Amino acid sequence: MAIRIASFLVIICAALSAQPLIAGNALMPAGTSVAVAKSTLTVTPEREWNRLSARPGRNSETWTLDGDDLNGVNFYSIETARALFREVSKRTKPLPRFSSTMLLTDIPALLENSYRIALGTTLFSMTNIEPVPFLGAKGVRFSYSFRKQMEDVSRNGEAVGAIVNGRLYLMSFDAPAILYFDRDVATFRQIVSSARLESLPMAARR
Amino acid sequence: MRRALSRAIPPLALALPVAASAASAPADLPPYTQAYQPQGTDERGLWMLADEDERNLRDSKFVINDPALQAYVGGVLCRAVGEDRCRGVRIYLVRVASFNANMAPNGTMQLWSGLLLRVRSEAELAAVLGHEFAHFELRHSLAGFRQRRSATDIAAWASFLGQYGPAIQQTAIGSIFQFNREQEKQADLLSLKYAIQSPYSAQAASHIWQRLMGEADATALGRKQRSQRYDRVAFFATHPTNLDRATYLSTLSADVAVKPEAAESYSTALAKWLPEFLSDQLKLNDFGGTEYLLASLAGEHWTAPLLFARAELYRQRGNPRDLVAAADFYRSALGADPDMADAWRGLGLCLMRDRQQVEGTVALKNYIRLRPQAADISMLHAMIGE
Repeated sequence: MAIRIASFLVIICAALSAQPLIAGNALMPAGTSVAVAKSTLTVTPEREWNRLSARPGRNSETWTLDGDDLNGVNFYSIETARALFREVSKRTKPLPRFSSTMLLTDIPALLENSYRIALGTTLFSMTNIEPVPFLGAKGVRFSYSFRKQMEDVSRNGEAVGAIVNGRLYLMSFDAPAILYFDRDVATFRQIVSSARLESLPMAARR
Repeated sequence: MRRALSRAIPPLALALPVAASAASAPADLPPYTQAYQPQGTDERGLWMLADEDERNLRDSKFVINDPALQAYVGGVLCRAVGEDRCRGVRIYLVRVASFNANMAPNGTMQLWSGLLLRVRSEAELAAVLGHEFAHFELRHSLAGFRQRRSATDIAAWASFLGQYGPAIQQTAIGSIFQFNREQEKQADLLSLKYAIQSPYSAQAASHIWQRLMGEADATALGRKQRSQRYDRVAFFATHPTNLDRATYLSTLSADVAVKPEAAESYSTALAKWLPEFLSDQLKLNDFGGTEYLLASLAGEHWTAPLLFARAELYRQRGNPRDLVAAADFYRSALGADPDMADAWRGLGLCLMRDRQQVEGTVALKNYIRLRPQAADISMLHAMIGE
């Protein structure tokens, strides 16, 4: 009887431990082009990354090395009248919407305001905003630092974006200022430099 | 069970605030006495937790480090509740863009920057500070902790009582929230007593709640939502409705002699921080509420920082008509203060988004001249084609 129960428990444990495999996080191999954010935006990482199954919003996705709170890269492909990511509360904390008539200087403000609302923070500052060619168009690169609400961890971020055919393509990298940002920002910049817009959507993500 | 009920009922029955000692205080001394030590297990435990929270809060980057403003707010508190009482309180000004203040049982008082932005006079600030202090003096955290413990005991026991169980559970849980509302009302009424003895107008308290209702309505309208109802108390509400508070506070203070509001000294003390707090508010994506707030801050006279804030609000929304309005507001702000660099930047970007490249370039050049070291300077150089 005891053996029967034990084997039953083993089966249950095996079933439960199999859950994470179904969850859909995936390894992004080095040196392979991959379409991101359900769009024609493709990147070719030079090292392996983890893609999280949880998306920040409809047309976006998150990659990370050690966990998205430690070194997270977000890819966005946003059409007009859409927010950058999913709202915490549509009713009480609606996020600002992207508009295709925005200037390049409005993109850093869009990200800043979205972060301030979603993270409930007042400590967010832009440290640099500069022009940069991106995806064959005029783009903007900006750096910022912020803290989450009532949290002591100081975080840095860097992002590159451009508006192409009325759509905002944006990549951002957030990491704690201690250790992680300086250690990993170079791998983010490598991903940015590999970014292309394909003319046709690549094979849809499984 | 019966003992638990009888423990829960007496505080609920307190209809009016009386002296501090009557509020089931474990000691005769009020908690603001110099070097007061918490009495009994419950109070000692609460103070230990509050001390830990205060240590964390003190070191937080969210605390506004401005000794002058700190001293000013402390002075208002002392005039509001009296010199003997205010010494038991440490005030922390915290950078959070919402209307709130709270008071821990050990005398830690938090005031959020969103509250400082919305209060318009020393008298209104004194009313808020007095309200928070009343919670402290009446030991509401302690009474609330004990009431919650009794009520949740009741709820747990009631689960064994078959068909009557759910009704008793619901009553017990409802009593927690009703108890909270009762405490808020007690604090409102005691703070009115302070106000009557203070040099400040006692009518100010009701003005705050009236304006908060106006702002909430404007926010809802701006977001195309239905506005809240103010005459109905939700089961889970921890506070009386704002309408309820505005009504009983204005009724009770109606006969009190009219005293100064001290609005000018308040705006002078806050002047340095006003642009910062306005900037936090502008980034909350709340067009209707912010427009209402700016209009109520401006009253008859729109100052340059308020005009600039209004311009930024319209430029952010960015409809073609908003860009036209924003450009006008920027120009008015610059008329009052031609060296306001951020207004030149806003005007330039506003005109460029409205496809007026030449005029936009002129405005941006003014910004670049005034702020050659700005973080976005290379981006703006590129936009004007240099």
